[in-house]
Amino acid sequence: MEQERTSKNEDVYILVEKIKKGDREAFMTVTHLYQKRVFLLAFSFFHNREDALDIVQETFLRFYQKVSLYRKGKNFQNWLLQIAKNLCIDYYRKNYKKGGELRKENPIDDMNLPLQNEPDPHTFSDLKGIFTPCLKKLAEKQRMVFVMKHYNQLHYNEISQILDISLGTVKSLHFKAVQNLRGLMAPYMGRQV
Amino acid sequence: MMDCKKYKKGFAAFLYGELEEDERKLLKAHLEMCPQCTGELERLKEVKKGANSLQEDIENAMTSVDWDTLPMQIAENIFKKEAHPAPESWMEKLSRLIFRPRLKPVYAGLLVGIILGSIVTFMVVRTPRSVMVEAGEFFAPRDFLENVELEIARRDTLDYLEKSQYLLLDFVQSPSEEAAEFWRSEFALQKTRDLLSQKKYINSQLNKFQMAKAKAICDQIELLFYELTQISVDLSAEEIRKIQRLIEEKDLLLKIKLLRRELKQSEV
Repeated sequence: MEQERTSKNEDVYILVEKIKKGDREAFMTVTHLYQKRVFLLAFSFFHNREDALDIVQETFLRFYQKVSLYRKGKNFQNWLLQIAKNLCIDYYRKNYKKGGELRKENPIDDMNLPLQNEPDPHTFSDLKGIFTPCLKKLAEKQRMVFVMKHYNQLHYNEISQILDISLGTVKSLHFKAVQNLRGLMAPYMGRQV
Repeated sequence: MMDCKKYKKGFAAFLYGELEEDERKLLKAHLEMCPQCTGELERLKEVKKGANSLQEDIENAMTSVDWDTLPMQIAENIFKKEAHPAPESWMEKLSRLIFRPRLKPVYAGLLVGIILGSIVTFMVVRTPRSVMVEAGEFFAPRDFLENVELEIARRDTLDYLEKSQYLLLDFVQSPSEEAAEFWRSEFALQKTRDLLSQKKYINSQLNKFQMAKAKAICDQIELLFYELTQISVDLSAEEIRKIQRLIEEKDLLLKIKLLRRELKQSEV
């Protein structure tokens, strides 16, 4: 598994070197290889197809602009997802967050997001209808860790690299995310059951 | 109870297969004994189920995207931007026109010309001395120039004294009739006039270098010559003898001799 990943990284490195010289074909190959992963992250974060496609476009544009910064030995997927993650957070803050809510004295991790399209416990009977708004209610870092773990199926150490935080913090954020989701879902689940 | 709290923290990792083998075994053993934790874990599994419920939406979204053309579209956007950058402003156009790569040698030549021109101008403006030297003038330190001037004054004075001495010797040593004749001659007249004009020239030098003693003697000589030229035309033998005696009495010739020796000794 480890060997396979290393050889994959080396193949990508060859392509990246070509992209540095302006090779369009190499760029398209890399985009083809990683576009779904970026889309998956963005879609599961926003639950919106258009936003996710915007993030994909922007991520590969940024990748092309910053390609000279990529060094051999770095995990390419993690590096690319780091770009995508930053764009998701920026996009989210710009388009979803109500102004004035994000304050330094209000750490992101401890803050729950404003509830959008709050489900009416009487009308929502399916799990998807309950879960979607609950996920949106999570604080952005918890949401990002949960999405990366559940949908992108990344390991804790990969998430720690992408978010540039310690492994312990990743574990803690994931635990809080799951715990908070359970708490948010509980009232609806109780009525459903 | 303490154990439950500790194990609960690992529930999320356990659900997602992130626990180490040892930890997983320990947790499993705890769950078998603790119905409370088992219940909690079951509730957490509902979160995972809830998350899985979105899977259908994700798959639908994924299939709705044309993944084969998307890389091409993205590449198109990026490389089009590179090939056709944003329209230029008139300033950019102008600067592009001025700084064309084709004009590089011209600008390089101009630059070299300006630098060389500046260097040449600088050298010409900065070295007027060399030009003046070519024109025949000479610049030297102040002390040196003063020494030279002093030496010239000394030599001029010496020359004047020498000539005067010879003339006066001729006058004193000759008998009075001949002396009267001598002063009437054109030769003596010319000589005394020369000496008088020379005296005028050395006056300023003697004043400048405070050669008081030389000045005094030269003044006496001058006065004497002046009188001689004025009155020589109708000078009687008696008068001439008087003048001759006067010269001898004042030891004018001796003074001249001493002064000459003194001036010679102080030669630079």
